[in-house]
Amino acid sequence: MRDMTSSEKVFVIGPDQISALPPERFSVGTGEELRVVLVVLPGVSPVIPMTFDLVGEGASVRVSALYLAAGSGKVRFDVLMHHRAPHTTSTQLFNGIAGGEASTVFSGRIIIDEGTFGIDAGQENHNILVSDRARAESDPQLEIYADDVKCSHGATVGRLDEQEQFYMRSRGIPEDEARFLQLLSFASPVLQSLPDHCREAVSSRVSSAIRSLLAQ
Amino acid sequence: MNDILLEIKGLHASVEGKEILRGIDLVIRRGEIHAVMGPNGAGKSTLSAVLAGKPGYEVTSGEIVFDGKDLLELSPEERSWAGIFLSFQYPIEIPGVTITNFMKAAVDAHRKAKGEEPLSAGGFLRLMKEKMALVQMKGEFAKRDVNAGFSGGEKKRCEIFQMAMLDPVLSILDETDSGLDVDALRIVSDGVNALHTPEKSAIVITHYKRLLDYIVPDVVHVLKAGKIVATGGRELVEIIENEGYDKF
Repeated sequence: MRDMTSSEKVFVIGPDQISALPPERFSVGTGEELRVVLVVLPGVSPVIPMTFDLVGEGASVRVSALYLAAGSGKVRFDVLMHHRAPHTTSTQLFNGIAGGEASTVFSGRIIIDEGTFGIDAGQENHNILVSDRARAESDPQLEIYADDVKCSHGATVGRLDEQEQFYMRSRGIPEDEARFLQLLSFASPVLQSLPDHCREAVSSRVSSAIRSLLAQ
Repeated sequence: MNDILLEIKGLHASVEGKEILRGIDLVIRRGEIHAVMGPNGAGKSTLSAVLAGKPGYEVTSGEIVFDGKDLLELSPEERSWAGIFLSFQYPIEIPGVTITNFMKAAVDAHRKAKGEEPLSAGGFLRLMKEKMALVQMKGEFAKRDVNAGFSGGEKKRCEIFQMAMLDPVLSILDETDSGLDVDALRIVSDGVNALHTPEKSAIVITHYKRLLDYIVPDVVHVLKAGKIVATGGRELVEIIENEGYDKF
């Protein structure tokens, strides 16, 4: 058996901490495992196209993204997950929070080529709107040309759960703090997937971004 | 200090335009445990929701004075700071928020409302440990997400643990016995009884006698169709047990 080679890439995109945008194309070869974590902070309006080509047998991709949009910010993802080889797997988690008059778009396409088999592809896009004027759009597209495929996707756009809020407030947690905790818990699966060396620093930036977003 | 902790006068309340409570009068003195019993749909849970300030429950007339304050003027969090605690019939799951972080936010907010500094990390963890022991919760629960994946019994124990942490003056136990086996019922009741003092009061809402064998009420009310139709001592519990609610 070949050894898996694993690589991990983190992109934090914000007004004063721009790691460059991710490359537009990632190619993942035989036995390779690629993990990508993306965090978009409020104050920027990026368009982020990303194509993942799973070209070698057993290639695997895991993408986790958290995007916070505030003010009149606009965030757009155009993601293509292209399974070109057998036994390739991909998971995508895109969690977005929009406040103010911000708008976000997640356009995510999964293509599974003819002649491949043993494919496992999953895509989740969840959005929380924290103001009446914020907008989030989710556009998943699946193109499956093979038979032996496991493919799942889920998309939601919603507001903070009022039952949770009342539960927290009934324990004396002020409304703003309750909303903060809810958003932090929504962000948590992406923050947990950050590598150890930067998890704390990025989480703390996200946490202050959430507070400022709620103050709008 | 006024002997009366809670006074409800002529309370009418509606949910989504439908009147559920149709004129409730109730006086609870310090130290008293009151049971509110009644059939399904009588308004028991509405009463607890109105006391805790749940959004969507509209008080159309009447007043509630708690510890000298106009309760209806207060937000849910202000009611909590003032000393009201509602143990939920169906505790809410909050995935992603650990019990530790949840309780830290709650305890800090209570202390801030009293003008006190937040507890030190060590002091807070000691308090957690002490109160978890009261309802036989294992230490590892502190790291779990609030109620997420808990069994029915674990959820109710977690409610009483939270009650112990927040040290309320008036505890409202909304069908705390539902979904509990005998062992969990005993643990929960022992916890509630251990927290009871002559200054503190409780409202125990239940369908059944079972819980009242463990948490013994001073006063028993029968709530039916949004009104209190009978008030008495413990003997009422036996009458209900033997004859049901139809006779009221």
